[in-house]
Amino acid sequence: MIEDTADHIYREELFDRLRKSAGMKRETECFGRLLKTVSWWIVEKESPKLPEVEKAIFTGCSCAKGSPKSGHRRCAKIFLDAIGKAAAEKRLVRTECSKGLHGFVYPILHSDRLFGYIGACYSNDPAAPEVLDMLGAFTDTLVREVQKEHELSKLYETLRPRAIALSTVHTVHRLISSTLDLNELLPRIARLSLQIMRANRCSIKLVDSKRKILLPKVTVDLRAKKIRLKKVRVGMFAPGKAFKFGRPIRGRNYLSAPLIDADVIGVITLYDKIDDKPFTQFDQEIISTLAEQAVIAIKNAQLYKEQEKLTTGTIKALAKVLDSRAPGTYIPRASFVKIAIAIGQELHLDSDLLKSLEYASILHDAGEIFVPQDVLAKPTKLTGEEFAMVKGHPAAGVEIIRHMKALKSATPIILYHHENFDGSGYPKGLKKDQIPVGARIMAVVSAFESMISKKPYRVAKTVEEAVEEIRRNSGTQFDPKIVDLFLKVMKRKDIRSILEKEAYAPR
Amino acid sequence: MHLDRIIGSPVHLKILKFFHENQASIDTPRGVATWVDEERAKVKKALEDLVESGILIAHRATSITGYSYTNDPKLISKISRLLEKAPRAQ
Repeated sequence: MIEDTADHIYREELFDRLRKSAGMKRETECFGRLLKTVSWWIVEKESPKLPEVEKAIFTGCSCAKGSPKSGHRRCAKIFLDAIGKAAAEKRLVRTECSKGLHGFVYPILHSDRLFGYIGACYSNDPAAPEVLDMLGAFTDTLVREVQKEHELSKLYETLRPRAIALSTVHTVHRLISSTLDLNELLPRIARLSLQIMRANRCSIKLVDSKRKILLPKVTVDLRAKKIRLKKVRVGMFAPGKAFKFGRPIRGRNYLSAPLIDADVIGVITLYDKIDDKPFTQFDQEIISTLAEQAVIAIKNAQLYKEQEKLTTGTIKALAKVLDSRAPGTYIPRASFVKIAIAIGQELHLDSDLLKSLEYASILHDAGEIFVPQDVLAKPTKLTGEEFAMVKGHPAAGVEIIRHMKALKSATPIILYHHENFDGSGYPKGLKKDQIPVGARIMAVVSAFESMISKKPYRVAKTVEEAVEEIRRNSGTQFDPKIVDLFLKVMKRKDIRSILEKEAYAPR
Repeated sequence: MHLDRIIGSPVHLKILKFFHENQASIDTPRGVATWVDEERAKVKKALEDLVESGILIAHRATSITGYSYTNDPKLISKISRLLEKAPRAQ
């Protein structure tokens, strides 16, 4: 039945194209002039009945006007016989109508299958066999061309939506692979899932370490301003079941798919389609594909986070070792790292540079380990030789971290953090933009930290005094733009609060 | 950009029709340019205009921006009505 319907649609579309084709128009014009054609007609059935033939022939037949109905019927019978013959012989069949006009019937074939017939009545003179052969060949080409055009159009209609869907999958893959920050990645996956599934709400939950509870990581809801993140026990509700059974769970208004890597790591769930229609099997396939992509991105981000923790841990361990020589010298205050990063964020530095800033904050004075302690703690003016030793500490710090590839991008920050904006600093006397931006930030923040710290050779300044000192040296020692951002950051409550806490904490 | 002006611009109209007919699609300017058969630079500009109008949503990442259709049912039905009246995009 379905095949019959498809066949009928195909036949209808094919004849529609044939009637509208420029080739058909050319054929009827050319051969019309050559044969002095009275009328052309098309029968759209393999085995037409008499009334169908009658209707086809006399729709365009000018000699039929004014003819009695019985004349029509006689002509139709003649052509019906010719159609039968053309169908059996699968070739052009000549005939003569009731008015004595010559005519022919030509079967429309495709891969030996009959679809219908083209016919014509022309003059009183019979056409030369060569002309009719040519007509047959021309009609064959025309039908083949129309059929090809029709099939191409069908193919285009089938392939285009799939190609668009494939392109969407590819774009989503690129979008979610472009970040390794889980805090950025999960909301992005949720928003993209909403778009693709045309749903109102998406929630991503990851399993806890004991694999009993699904912890809500992100929920995006297009309707609600406030969202409550709910934990779900494994095995409960759609997310818990999708996790437990490792397969999608679908209801009218929800669709939950597990995030499967080597094991199930979480669940992505969508709720309420925006057109209020139910979730379908097709939706289920799409979300499963999306979940496969998402899990790879999530695992990469988790691995990256682990790697980062490892690097930071190593750096902190190194700082601890260095600090053992002069406790409180090499382990920076938490506020120091936070202020440096806050300035970097104000400057919209990318995440890699912010990370380098964090690493450099911890190890920027590591090279002082090579400077004798009595020189560092000397309360009086340093001699030329002693100052040369102090000036060598940035390069010495770089030497310490040289073999740690993860710290490569922090190198310029450590090496140039004693350069002054006006070119009066060391080791190279760089000025203004010649100094890397991270080093310009580090210069301000390390000077601030040094001022508020108690040193053997001077009393510590208050935060207000240190801030004023930084402001005074804006444009000479420090980059004015960085100083402005430093002053802005120093007004933040969270920074003030950490500074206050650190003032009472032992270092 | 106002909806009437969008309808008046062939590139904007083609993009609008593409997203209206393929509402689950998320694509880059390059992809959209292929589907609507227009120059990438013109498409990129038009996509941003449509984002500004609230018709499209931009998903921006470091090296790629994906564009998708609005989720607002009212706006979608308004566009639907407008497209019925609009001239056919070539």
